[in-house]
Amino acid sequence: MKHVIALNINGDTYEVLVSPNKTILEVLRDQLGLMGTKRGCDLGVCGTCTVLMDGEPYLSCLTLAMDAVGREILTIEGLSQEGDFDPLQRAFIEKGAVQCGFCTPGMILTAKAILDEEGKPTEESIKKKMAGNLCRCTGYKKIVEAVLSVATQTEREE
Amino acid sequence: MEPKSIQEASSILLDDPKAKILAGGTDLLVNMKHRVEVPSVIVNIKRISHLDFIEKKNGAIGIGALTSLKSIYTNPLIGKNLRALTLAASSVGSYHHQSMGTIGGNICQQNRCKYFNQSHWWRSSRPLCFKAGGEICHVVNKKGICYSSYSGDVAPVLLALNAKVILETKTATREIPLESLFSGDGKVPLNLQGGEILREITIPQEASDGFSTYVKIANRESIDFPIVSIALWASMKRKEVRVSFTAVDRRPVRAKGVEDFLGGKELNEETLEEAVGLSSQEATPVKTSLYSPSYKRKVMGLLLKSALKEAMRRAGR
Repeated sequence: MKHVIALNINGDTYEVLVSPNKTILEVLRDQLGLMGTKRGCDLGVCGTCTVLMDGEPYLSCLTLAMDAVGREILTIEGLSQEGDFDPLQRAFIEKGAVQCGFCTPGMILTAKAILDEEGKPTEESIKKKMAGNLCRCTGYKKIVEAVLSVATQTEREE
Repeated sequence: MEPKSIQEASSILLDDPKAKILAGGTDLLVNMKHRVEVPSVIVNIKRISHLDFIEKKNGAIGIGALTSLKSIYTNPLIGKNLRALTLAASSVGSYHHQSMGTIGGNICQQNRCKYFNQSHWWRSSRPLCFKAGGEICHVVNKKGICYSSYSGDVAPVLLALNAKVILETKTATREIPLESLFSGDGKVPLNLQGGEILREITIPQEASDGFSTYVKIANRESIDFPIVSIALWASMKRKEVRVSFTAVDRRPVRAKGVEDFLGGKELNEETLEEAVGLSSQEATPVKTSLYSPSYKRKVMGLLLKSALKEAMRRAGR
């Protein structure tokens, strides 16, 4: 039996008709056309489907859509403000941290969760927490550099 | 289904024995995608309030079943008193799994086996294994028995800390030692009676008075189940050591032989070596992963050695 549920995604409310076995990943991509969130392994190993739920990194392939009711979901589409890139997105471009780009949305959202949680994370902490996001182009060094640059940037602004 | 209370959830479980509980989802949903678990109904318990807490009660520490692994290792009360629990919770899966996963779900996770945790397609090359609904356990080639390994990170630590669990049904509540929650049966790893739901974990006050550690050996440091892990609690004052291992048997095991041997003795090089010799007898690993039982037994000894040495160093200070 399908249910009508309201999801809060990137600040907007979407009413969708879902069967209880649908994951948020499926709803985002197949029903709402928000293709920024990628499907990789679909088993919670690769991290590319990461979205933020109430600021926490969640694997959207392992989260049922019905379970997300009442929570704030942030996808890569909701990160840029008024057409301007988020500092993390800009850093990824400037540092050359994007190769094929498939892992990038998950990487950026996980990085955002780390920065929001820790403020000024160390390189070690970034590496440990981003270990659940796989990059098959193996561009990890640039990715860590990009996240670190934002971490130190916020320090300067303060 | 999204019950609002344990009682309500419990009666759904009683009405439908094939219903399954969903908490963090990082174990159940993966198994469902692999078609090794096919529940008739999913009971999402996350809408039940008052199950996400860490609090001190009469010296003991109570942890609600829905407390996320991340809130456990970032909690100062646990960080200060129960180092091993911090280490174990932060070693589960990746950052994402730690944010999503709950302590209750981690304890109650399914046993694992290389013939079970595979896609439907992968498994289609041979008959279903006993755990997945077939007749034969492919690990030992026997009928009617399952040798899958319990591979959780948190349970061995809680065993070494002598934790208890509170189980609740529609009508009753009981508190049992965590150790008796595990059945030792690979097919049904938990001793839960009809409709029972894990509500809370309590860690006794004395657990905070000792040294504790958790050492995990895994293929990848970043995101993996343990090949073998050890949890150790030691009190030099009481001359007591408690040891448990995970991923070496059908349940997380307390190394009673090692504990009895070390109890009341001074920890020194000699007793350490002898204890290490005893450790491999404490479990019966079988080949449920890529690693051989003899390798696992060796690693058990090495882990015990390094954990005991760490305990001695701390005591020396």
